[in-house]
Amino acid sequence: MAAHLSYGRVNLNVLREAVRRELREFLDKCAGSKAIVWDEYLTGPFGLIAQYSLLKEHEVEKMFTLKGSRLPTADVKNIIFFVRPRLELMDIIAENVLSEDRRGPARDFHILFVPRRSLLCEQRLKDLGVLGSFIHREEYSLDLIPFDGDLLSMESEGAFKECYLESDQTSLYHAAKGLMTLQALYGTIPQIFGKGECARQVANMMIRMKREFTGSQNSIFPVFDNLLLLDRNVDLLTPLATQLTYEGLIDEIYGIQNTSEDFFDKLTVEQEFMSGIDTDKVNSYIEDCIAQKHPLIKVLRLVCLQSVCNSGLKQKVLDYYKREILQTYGYEHILTLYNLEKAGLLKPQMGGRNNYPTIRKTLRLWMDDVNEQNPTDISYVYSGYAPLSVRLAQLLSRPGWRSIEEVLRILPGPHFEERQPLPTGLQKKRQPGENRVTLIFFLGGVTFAEIAALRFLSQLEDGGTEYVIATTKLMNGASWIESLMEKPF
Amino acid sequence: MDCYTANWNPLGDSAFYRKYELYSMDWDLKEELRDCLVAAAPYGGPIALLRNPWRKEKVASIRPVLEIYSASGLPLASLLWKSGPVVSLGWSAEEELLCVQEDGVVLVYGLHGDFRRHFSMGNEVLQNRVLDARIFHTEFGSGVAILTGAHRFTLSANVGDLKLRRMPEVPGLQSAPSCWTTLCQDRVAHILLAVGPDLYLLDHAACSAVTPPGLAPGVSSFLQMAVSFTYRHLALFTDTGYIWMGTASLKEKLCEFNCNIRAPPKQMVWCSRPRSKERAVVVAWERRLMVVGDAPESIQFVLDEDSYLVPELDGVRIFSCSTHEFLHEVPVASEEIFKIASMAPGALLLEAQKEYEKESQKADEYLREIQELGQLTQAVQQCIEAAGHEHRPDMQKSLLRAASFGKCFLDRFPPDSFVRMCQDLRVLNAIRDYHIGIPLTYSQYKQLTIQVLLDRLVLRRLYPLAIQICEYLRLPEVQGVSRILAHWACYKVQQKDVSDEDVARAINQKLGDTPGVSYSDIAARAYGCGRTELAIKLLEYEPRSGEQVPLLLKMKRSKLALSKAIESGDTDLVFTVLLHLKNELNRGDFFMTLRNQPMALSLYRQFCKHQELETLKDLYNQDDNHQELGSFHIRASYAAEERIEGRVAALQMAADAFYKAKNEFAAKATEDQMRLLRLQRRLEDELGGHFVDLSLHDTVTTLVLGGHSKRAEQLARDFRIPDKRLWWLKLTALADLEDWEELEKFSKSKKSPIGYLVVPALRLRRSQLLYPFVEICMKQHNKYEAKKYASRVGPEQKVKALLLVGDVAQAADVAIEHRNEAELTLVLSHCTGTADAATADKIQRARAQAQKK
Repeated sequence: MAAHLSYGRVNLNVLREAVRRELREFLDKCAGSKAIVWDEYLTGPFGLIAQYSLLKEHEVEKMFTLKGSRLPTADVKNIIFFVRPRLELMDIIAENVLSEDRRGPARDFHILFVPRRSLLCEQRLKDLGVLGSFIHREEYSLDLIPFDGDLLSMESEGAFKECYLESDQTSLYHAAKGLMTLQALYGTIPQIFGKGECARQVANMMIRMKREFTGSQNSIFPVFDNLLLLDRNVDLLTPLATQLTYEGLIDEIYGIQNTSEDFFDKLTVEQEFMSGIDTDKVNSYIEDCIAQKHPLIKVLRLVCLQSVCNSGLKQKVLDYYKREILQTYGYEHILTLYNLEKAGLLKPQMGGRNNYPTIRKTLRLWMDDVNEQNPTDISYVYSGYAPLSVRLAQLLSRPGWRSIEEVLRILPGPHFEERQPLPTGLQKKRQPGENRVTLIFFLGGVTFAEIAALRFLSQLEDGGTEYVIATTKLMNGASWIESLMEKPF
Repeated sequence: MDCYTANWNPLGDSAFYRKYELYSMDWDLKEELRDCLVAAAPYGGPIALLRNPWRKEKVASIRPVLEIYSASGLPLASLLWKSGPVVSLGWSAEEELLCVQEDGVVLVYGLHGDFRRHFSMGNEVLQNRVLDARIFHTEFGSGVAILTGAHRFTLSANVGDLKLRRMPEVPGLQSAPSCWTTLCQDRVAHILLAVGPDLYLLDHAACSAVTPPGLAPGVSSFLQMAVSFTYRHLALFTDTGYIWMGTASLKEKLCEFNCNIRAPPKQMVWCSRPRSKERAVVVAWERRLMVVGDAPESIQFVLDEDSYLVPELDGVRIFSCSTHEFLHEVPVASEEIFKIASMAPGALLLEAQKEYEKESQKADEYLREIQELGQLTQAVQQCIEAAGHEHRPDMQKSLLRAASFGKCFLDRFPPDSFVRMCQDLRVLNAIRDYHIGIPLTYSQYKQLTIQVLLDRLVLRRLYPLAIQICEYLRLPEVQGVSRILAHWACYKVQQKDVSDEDVARAINQKLGDTPGVSYSDIAARAYGCGRTELAIKLLEYEPRSGEQVPLLLKMKRSKLALSKAIESGDTDLVFTVLLHLKNELNRGDFFMTLRNQPMALSLYRQFCKHQELETLKDLYNQDDNHQELGSFHIRASYAAEERIEGRVAALQMAADAFYKAKNEFAAKATEDQMRLLRLQRRLEDELGGHFVDLSLHDTVTTLVLGGHSKRAEQLARDFRIPDKRLWWLKLTALADLEDWEELEKFSKSKKSPIGYLVVPALRLRRSQLLYPFVEICMKQHNKYEAKKYASRVGPEQKVKALLLVGDVAQAADVAIEHRNEAELTLVLSHCTGTADAATADKIQRARAQAQKK
């Protein structure tokens, strides 16, 4: 039992136990002593599900990191590869298996694909002549990993980039699968809301997958009242700003050397941008940062923030920043800049119209009077700025999105509502004063400050809604920008 | 009821045997049974007959007919035998008919005479012919054993997974054994054979002579041998008319019997049941049937007709031209209840219930008697159990009624055994009906399981009955109704006279979204029958793309597969189809297909990015995607190519692409990069050191640090580096060099870039520019130098500068002088420890004063 997962409205231990059970069942299929060869990327997520003691109980005696050539020696009966379904990893596995075959006594090889088995990968193993060497080839649907009593993450580093830059919806498919698993454990979610292109796709996949399962009628009383799917690109602004909650600050500052004074200067500039001051011209603080060759990520984050707060920069301003960046940090960053443009983070203003003020005012994104000690509004998490994403969630629960149709149309992607009919026996009769539970899924990542804001809403006495948060990745502005950077050498 | 036990025959003191009719057969047999090869499947299975012209005088001009009947004699199939001479027939556990030919080929037919497949029992047979063959059943499946003309045995323990085992030779064997059988011990099949007075056991390694313990002397030959249904017991019939019965391991003798008939019996089979009281063997001659066991007397029946024995789990079926009977040892519960003058609780309860129906007070007396002995529960149980063993529904009913009656007087009798028996009997009566013709006993039914029974109904195409049974027993849909419907659909697709549309519609109408039905399985069957179009239509109903797509690929409908895969959102599936398409289509067509499927195209691009870079370029070219092509060349300029000229050429291609993409900025930047790269190479040649791939900014810095100010200036001018940045660059470089003298000069320089900086747009005054000097010196840990600049910093940043160099006291003074609350707070936050206590005090006083005013 992981106590921290069971304190919330929704007991996420149920999910954790379910995935642990699945893991144990797989390990027991490979009878005898075992060595696990890890795709390094998976060790983090697995650590949240199963400690070494669990593996040990099931006769896991050795653990290695997956790498080329031959495996370290291990006197075990089974060798199990825990890998993501990626072609380059298949090549390494094949190399391992072939060199092991030459070595002597036969071992039983198995492969566990996380989170999904892949025909493509199996074809590659077949082409490399090792597919037949595996006794068990299975998948381990570890999509959503419980992090906290109200927090689930897929820990999929590249999700944002894949979705918005490469039009690769693999992570959306996994998200939809993860949501199906959740529904299998916590009941069908009767209402689905969404905003954004990816949200639409995930909802479509869910509806389709539900059709695939017709018959195995879910008879669990629904725990979630609704699901809100949000595209990260509906709110590009929030992650760019420096998070000012405790957890957020730790996340931001950890590992970064910043003089406190510079930090305040930066905050001032950010706050000016977010409140709409001087967003249309070259900012001298940013200029200075470039001139002093401050970390590129910091500079990009500020420039992007300015761009987003101005619905794009004037061509001249944009070109000036880009030129400064290329000259100072190197021309290779032309690829990164292009990526940021593709993602909509850095772009020229189209039609010369700045929509941000409309959005800011309608959604009350900027609050001048913030009480940070006894907050009354979510804007405390950014000392004045109320995260757009969370505001959308708040307005959805009360008074409903119909009140903000106009702004929703300005924000990218469609907004929609879908209903998943429940058999009458499972329909909820709400007690007076009983809060709704909303599962909010951030497609493309969520920051700690947004989580804090949602928790704040959950705790409000007359809030009416409690949130469970799911995401493709827990992130901050820096890790986000970094995931979009491309270094050709 | 007195007559009820009329057909009970005692064997010894303990057991009774009874024989009752299952069906009167109205099959229209053209041949005598004795002229046919006969095979009847156990568990009430079908009967196959093949007139055997090969053994008799040569009238082979007429082709024989293979006929298959249900156990009730309904014809299931009839076909002209066109293959070679058949030695033996037998049914597999899956109710497939195995026909062993003289040439060792085994032909496999379905229940309806449909040819399934064939296999051979080995090449050796071709020369020597098969003399005899047996089909036998083990826990692994059904096996075939053959005896060849060379008197050698070959067997396969499982025809589903054919592995031939040639058994060792029997030393000195000159003629065919007088009789033989397959045994199964320790999960391995053996062969026991008799040659003259000797018995030999063949296992896979050796041939060993065996002797049955306690065998009567004087045997010169064994005429028959029989192994029991469960392979546990063995019976041997000798030429002296003597029967030895014992364990199949030949370690123990059960009993012996001398029947005094020396004629070889036609058949000998075991008749026992699980937990038998008595183990008996049934021996059949032309007109006589004998049940013998551990008793001085045997039971004898007269056979009016040519008959055939079928051993079952709990008895023997005997069929002839006109009837089909079952002979078995009377089960314990039935014996207890029906035995004459039985006082068993069940018997009393049955009586009580009968009296009750007659409204006689005797009912109460009987009931009291049972209750006084505390045996009512046992009585009810006995009645329920006995009902199961009754073949006639009226008897079943009367026993169940008695049980139900008894239950009323019990407080807590769990109802499930009663309910289950009622259900089981209803199912059994339904399948025993002669239209269906599966005469299973209760014990056989339980052994077989309902799942297998359903499979057998499906095999007989009795879909509606199977579905009714599923619904009646409330089996989960996935195991029950859905499975049956899926089988029905698989049969339906084979009806070639019905159009694709009609079949697809009929199937969908009946199956709808029934859970557990796999449309792709049905489609696969349709495809197997060569009905591709029907398969595609059926696949439309398949909601699982994971199932749909691979089959479409197999049917070479790759483009349809692609759109289905895309619909599903499962990228792995899309990739799989793409790679398939790539091999199937020529490059041009493949690209065209991609062009119409943006999602697939972007996935394929990702694939190429990692696996096939050149293809990626072609894709961009095809789409006139110049922007991406530009990026592609940029990446290429860094990859592999070491020579500057090669890199510049790649960049030139990038710049050209950017121009085509109308991205002037990127084009110009790339041209700048080319210029810089060439220049860096020249600098490396002229000055040594490392320049290539430094940023412009770092190149200039390196020049400054290396003392090449002129070159640095030149480069800055050439690339139009803004003055502000150049100023910062120099400042940083000088501090890095720790050239404090030069730094001071720089701070005072009149004709320095500072001049340009003091422009209104930047809103900076010269004294403000001194703050960075303080900062940079502190960064180099030179407090001394830093203090020099701090004192010169203008009033706006003075406090900050003083704090930076650690002069809290002076900072406090300046802040107090400025009467600036923010500054005071800032200084106060820097007051730490006792050293600054006085300063803190001073600030507080100043604040207090300010407030008074």
